[in-house]
Amino acid sequence: MSRIYAATLLLILAFFLFSAVKLDYGQLRGGVSEYYIARGVAETGALNMVTAIYLNYRVYDTLGEATVFFASALGVFMLLRKNTGPAGRQEEGESDG
Amino acid sequence: MDRTSSILKIFTRKLFSFILLYGCYLISHGHLSPGGGFQGGVVFGSAIILLGLVEGVKLTEKRFREDSLSLTKNVGMLVFIFLGFVGIFLGYYFLSDFLPRGEVGTVPSAGLILLLNLTIGFMVGTGIAVIFYRIVRHKA
Amino acid sequence: MINGVSIGIIVVLIGIYGILTKRNLIKMVMALYIMNSGVILLFISIGYVAGGEAAIFESGKKLMVDPLPQAVMLTSLVIGLGITALALALVIKIYDEYGTLNASRILEDK
Repeated sequence: MSRIYAATLLLILAFFLFSAVKLDYGQLRGGVSEYYIARGVAETGALNMVTAIYLNYRVYDTLGEATVFFASALGVFMLLRKNTGPAGRQEEGESDG
Repeated sequence: MDRTSSILKIFTRKLFSFILLYGCYLISHGHLSPGGGFQGGVVFGSAIILLGLVEGVKLTEKRFREDSLSLTKNVGMLVFIFLGFVGIFLGYYFLSDFLPRGEVGTVPSAGLILLLNLTIGFMVGTGIAVIFYRIVRHKA
Repeated sequence: MINGVSIGIIVVLIGIYGILTKRNLIKMVMALYIMNSGVILLFISIGYVAGGEAAIFESGKKLMVDPLPQAVMLTSLVIGLGITALALALVIKIYDEYGTLNASRILEDK
């Protein structure tokens, strides 16, 4: 679409976003992070809190993320083969699958 | 690039092993200082990409063959899942932390975190190098 | 005021402008990645504590920044990398098939 329409739409969107994200910036947030900071070293033994969170308390999300990265590397590997496309062409006569 | 300047080639050949060593340091000390599996893996992959840009992909392919890198990436994913199942064999839940703790502040001190960091680091590093090989060597 | 939250919102809006206006396929993929970076910056700056330090334990107890959004955004970064790699591979295959990188010319070609 043309640039004037895009700029007008973005100004309306910016007005809504800037009025919705009106948090108190820089305040202490309690809850789960307090538990992680208070008991992280004793339960996991790691000094780096971020590593202790994403490899001990939430390791299942890291397994899902490793699967997504592996799937995307497989996708690039199979899209860009050497001679033929992903399904092979019919003039070549080979059926690699 | 047919004619790379000789300053670039000499410096890259000397610096390449230090970049690999730095990547391995970031992977293995992930629980003591900023770093971890993903960060160290990206540095590891960037070293191979740098060598491929300066020397040419044909020469880099002779040293870091695409079949070996692809095999390391696939085996890394299987090792991750296998480390999860060891927890079930011992009676706990999937991906449980069954190794004993050492003293806080040394490298083998955090249980399963070190093994998972190593697995993820090698998987991400070789994955990025394989993506680079595939995109550069594609002929229309 | 200039803090991480407003800059993050501005970067997301720049990315949305790029997707709406540009017609080159590679520029659209670049705008997607800019939007990804903006969202990550926004979420990490929400967990800031005034006067806090980095979330790594050294001797002495101090005030610490919130480590939970940082751990979640690390996952999101790697997923963004995978998405961009796959999108660029698809752009290469589209160029092989149609011979042009202009999105409106590809759409009226069939």
